Amino acid sequence: MRFVDEYRDPVAARATLAEIERLAAEQPARAFMEVCGGHTHTIYRHGIEHLLPASVELVHGPGCPVCVIPMGRIDDAIAVAHQPGVIFTCFGDMLRVPGSNGSLLRAKAKGADVRVVYSPLDALRLAGEHPDRPVVFFAVGFETTAPSTALTLRRARELGTHNFSVFCNHVTIVPPLKAILDSPDLRLDGFLGPGHVSTVIGNRPYRFVPERYGKPLVTTGFEPLDILQAIVMLLCQLRDGRCEVENQYTRVVRDEGNPRALEVIREVFELRPHFEWRGLGFISQSALKLRAEFAPWDAEVAFDVPGVRVADPKACQCGEVLKGVLKPWQCKVFGTACTPETPIGTCMVSSEGACAAYYNFGRRIPTRSTRVGVARSAIADR
Amino acid sequence: MSAAPFVDASGLDIDAAQGRDLASASFSLARRFAAGATMWCIAPAWPQHARHVAVEFVHPVTIGKRALAAVAVTGPQPVAELRSVVRAGDVLCAISTADESIVVDALRRAPAWGLETLWIGCGPTQPRAGAAGHVLWVDDRDGRAPYDGSIVLRYHVLWELTHVCIDHPGLMRPQAEAADGADTCITCSDEGSIGEVVDGVADGDARVRTPRGVEVIDVTLVAPVRGGDLLLLHAGVAITRIESEHAGG
Repeated sequence: MRFVDEYRDPVAARATLAEIERLAAEQPARAFMEVCGGHTHTIYRHGIEHLLPASVELVHGPGCPVCVIPMGRIDDAIAVAHQPGVIFTCFGDMLRVPGSNGSLLRAKAKGADVRVVYSPLDALRLAGEHPDRPVVFFAVGFETTAPSTALTLRRARELGTHNFSVFCNHVTIVPPLKAILDSPDLRLDGFLGPGHVSTVIGNRPYRFVPERYGKPLVTTGFEPLDILQAIVMLLCQLRDGRCEVENQYTRVVRDEGNPRALEVIREVFELRPHFEWRGLGFISQSALKLRAEFAPWDAEVAFDVPGVRVADPKACQCGEVLKGVLKPWQCKVFGTACTPETPIGTCMVSSEGACAAYYNFGRRIPTRSTRVGVARSAIADR
Repeated sequence: MSAAPFVDASGLDIDAAQGRDLASASFSLARRFAAGATMWCIAPAWPQHARHVAVEFVHPVTIGKRALAAVAVTGPQPVAELRSVVRAGDVLCAISTADESIVVDALRRAPAWGLETLWIGCGPTQPRAGAAGHVLWVDDRDGRAPYDGSIVLRYHVLWELTHVCIDHPGLMRPQAEAADGADTCITCSDEGSIGEVVDGVADGDARVRTPRGVEVIDVTLVAPVRGGDLLLLHAGVAITRIESEHAGG
């Protein structure tokens, strides 16, 4: 998730880069995973990868909420959108995410009433304006976005708006982190922790990363200086033999997160036993669904959702990219069959997807020879 | 590659690193001016500098150069004045030491107002990282920089380089803006932005100023709020406050 702010002062960036070079020279090569898609976007947009010393590698993680949606869920969304009378609402990125037979954009072209909204509250307002039509909101995102959906559902209940429902695809950040850390050939040395997810959940849920897996994690903001400072903090921890959760993003993230947001999430959602992540397979208790009290607003209850699991296209290697096994340009179809205009995989769709970010900002820069943080077969689909 | 420092007739100099910062700031300013920006100048302790910068840009000393919109804000409450006059896309140019609280406060709020920010200053300590989009700093141990021409030299060169960028065919082409704008997530499916509370409205909502304008935002998760509070917004909901004591990087 991006934070639209200005943290790009070149004076400070030069000083921080010099510090990184000094610290890197004192220790072996390091690979850090940036968990969040917003970080990936910043890294490519500002060319941070190419400013770092060769011994410091950034591996792109699974934190783009659009990229991790499996094709089957897109097919489900399209099926709901084609139901008679439905106004189907979603964030803009979701329009172009390909399912097994087209995208929501194509569904719109075929006559489905698909509309882009900025907030689920806009979708609820739409339901108020069209009381005779069912309005469905396609909810995606991590814990950052879940409170917004939860507040909307609470408001729908208060208002008695029964022509509004949510197709819930909210996911949580800790389970995929665990999945990555559980891979036997893990070669990551630390993590740039997500910034705005941590605004909601705080820093405490990450304590298992140093305590159980012996890896440092630094919660990081989204501007170039934030990322460079976080790399300094990780390198300092490793140099000093420390292994902690630290917070670089203090101007926004509190250790305890936002308790009210967590409360509203708990009130409205419960964990799904399993949820499929694109590239990571099924991860238990990694996604949210509506509690029974909110069933009247649950699109999966209100509509006939196919719920068919669809395998990713064979040519697409989004899974490996999401796991940090492949760099975007190492995918077989990157920049040829798969471009932002005609994406095959989700990583090329969202502006926060590693492939789209690299295609837009990095493809003209000669690639570095890289060692990837996780071996190709390290993370089995589960 | 190292470049020789620029030295003016009086012996004041700008080293290569500062030259790069000046070039970067000038390019940003030029693009904003080309898009119709006004530059608002504040210098609470040295209002003469705010007026000087504004007049440099508005009344070009070189025949044939465009007048660029710039205004000095020198009243007793610059933050309140700025809040009422700036538009998204404008530029805030502050001139002060790093501990000038009015400038720090104005720069904190600038993202909510949609401003590009430039801090020209001096003193033994620099602003915290990220305090402004561009920082042009004079390492001033004896407190003379505001008066010996060091600061003036920087904004004179800034003016010249801004015009170099504006006059360069190609630099101001629309596609350059489009490339920059490509980082804007069209979905907001995962974007956070700063907003400043205008006032509260009923049922957990507040009117909040953002670069997009004034929006109605659900503030249930951060209530109570009052006018002037800075919030982090995501998908129509305020998810946390941005406290002044946490504003540092």
